[in-house]
Amino acid sequence: MSLAVLLATMRVQMKQSFARPMFRFCLIANPILNTVLLYEMYRGSGEESFMAYVVLGAGLMGLWSCICFSSAGDINRERYSGTLALIFVAPASFPTIILGKIIGNTLLSLLTLGISLVTAAVLFRTPLMLESPLYFLFALLAAVAAFVVISSVVACLLTLSRKTELYMNCIEIPIILLCGFVFPVSVLPAAVRAVSYALSPTYAVELLRMSVWGVEEPAAFWQKLGILLGLTALYAVLSALLYRRIDRRVRVAATLEVA
Amino acid sequence: METVIEVRDARREYVSRSGVWKREKRVVKAVDGISFEVRRGEIFGLLGQNGAGKTTTIKMLTTLLAPTGGSCRVLGCDTFGEEKRIRPRINFIFGGEMGVYRRLSARDNLRYFSNLYLLPRGEQEKRIERILGLVDLAERADDLAETYSKGMIQRLQIARGLINDPEILFMDEPTVGLDPVGARMLRDIIRRLKEEGRTVLLTTHNLAEVEELCDRLVIINKGKVIARGTPEEIKGGFDTLEDAYVKLIEGVSA
Ligand SMILES: Nc1ncnc2c1ncn2[C@@H]1O[C@H](COP(=O)(O)OP(=O)(O)OP(=O)(O)O)[C@@H](O)[C@H]1O
Ligand SMILES: [Mg+2]
Repeated sequence: MSLAVLLATMRVQMKQSFARPMFRFCLIANPILNTVLLYEMYRGSGEESFMAYVVLGAGLMGLWSCICFSSAGDINRERYSGTLALIFVAPASFPTIILGKIIGNTLLSLLTLGISLVTAAVLFRTPLMLESPLYFLFALLAAVAAFVVISSVVACLLTLSRKTELYMNCIEIPIILLCGFVFPVSVLPAAVRAVSYALSPTYAVELLRMSVWGVEEPAAFWQKLGILLGLTALYAVLSALLYRRIDRRVRVAATLEVA
Repeated sequence: METVIEVRDARREYVSRSGVWKREKRVVKAVDGISFEVRRGEIFGLLGQNGAGKTTTIKMLTTLLAPTGGSCRVLGCDTFGEEKRIRPRINFIFGGEMGVYRRLSARDNLRYFSNLYLLPRGEQEKRIERILGLVDLAERADDLAETYSKGMIQRLQIARGLINDPEILFMDEPTVGLDPVGARMLRDIIRRLKEEGRTVLLTTHNLAEVEELCDRLVIINKGKVIARGTPEEIKGGFDTLEDAYVKLIEGVSA
């Protein structure tokens, strides 16, 4: 693991992602549109906290689309431009390079939260409250870690198989619904909720929402944070196991390149 | 002279599945038991018709692909199993417009790859400057690669392939798309690499180039070696290498 490689990859990745029109759309236009849409949906509902469902919801949706379309799509882009093979055999470790790409993309994608906040503030002039900023910061850091780890699993699967991009497009919306990005998971049927609580973003979203409303019971917050970190660690172990097998698998299956 | 590449009865099959409902399994024998050796400091040619298995062979040697049989050894190490010891000491260039980051400038591309090859910080800029001069890209070094012509992208690829001062450089059709001046520049670079004691393994469909550059070569057809030797030996009684090549290919397809 080389810090220089990680930082260089983050820099290069952010430069390249931002140069892509599709990424800029996901990053900027998407949260604005979603904020407006969610605001209209929630306006007559009696729900007071626009911050929790509108701003946070639109921001998280944007963050997640950026991850689906970039962290995942990047592997295929590299494959089609012939650079996947190059980064794969470079002496720097492949997982470090992938991690650099993902962290770069995720940091850039965090802009969606800010954009959605500004949109709501400018367009709707509703009071937007963040009751527990410090808790919010903890929740946000844990959420970023969770998303980074999920992306790294996806990136690994994509390196192994070219079809993963298709699956990625299929799970974008279900995750938004299952993990309660725009409504509380409690409205889902019990059987579906069981799935929700196996997915780490669900806890990330609830933690963020708790800190927007104000954390009244710190113990409940820390407990949920513990579960989130535990799940994230579990996913990370899974990811590490996958990456250990990838070097041989990829060369046997010949999936590094298109031809 | 020390042997730096040793291919022994190497084989590679690709399994592809086609059809939506009835999945049909098709096995392509891309490389079907080839053997050859390359010595340090040689310029070695790998020739053959489209689909002969040249690129597949290069991929096995550059640790990108596992052989399905036989063995490939580079610098004394197995390319499947001991790849970590090989990778820092070799590099490769695939012809065409692949293999560069088009949304980065030439300089940024080279900086990034010098990081991936773990070059010390202090050495990076000096080396990048020298290589940019070598491939004649210094003037446009800070423009995005997507604004480059085909040949310029090709030259950037060559630059990238030199970033780690490789002991062995593998080149798959490196002169594709280069103008005459660019092609000569590349031939000069290849000769200079040889003078520095480096080894070059290249594929090309330009037989005049082979005659000019290569010390030895093998011709492969449908995954098998059909001729080997120096350009002179392969030419035999023919006037040009091209005549000899065409006769050889006709001979095996008859
Ligand atoms: N990833 C792959 N999956 C299936 N078949 C493949 C794959 N890569 C190559 N092949 C097949 O293997 C054979 C050899 O291909 P290869 O690319 O090695 O040929 P080549 O000698 O480099 O040809 P060219 O001169 O056209 O570049 C061809 O029949 C090709 O269709
Ligand atoms: Mg080829």
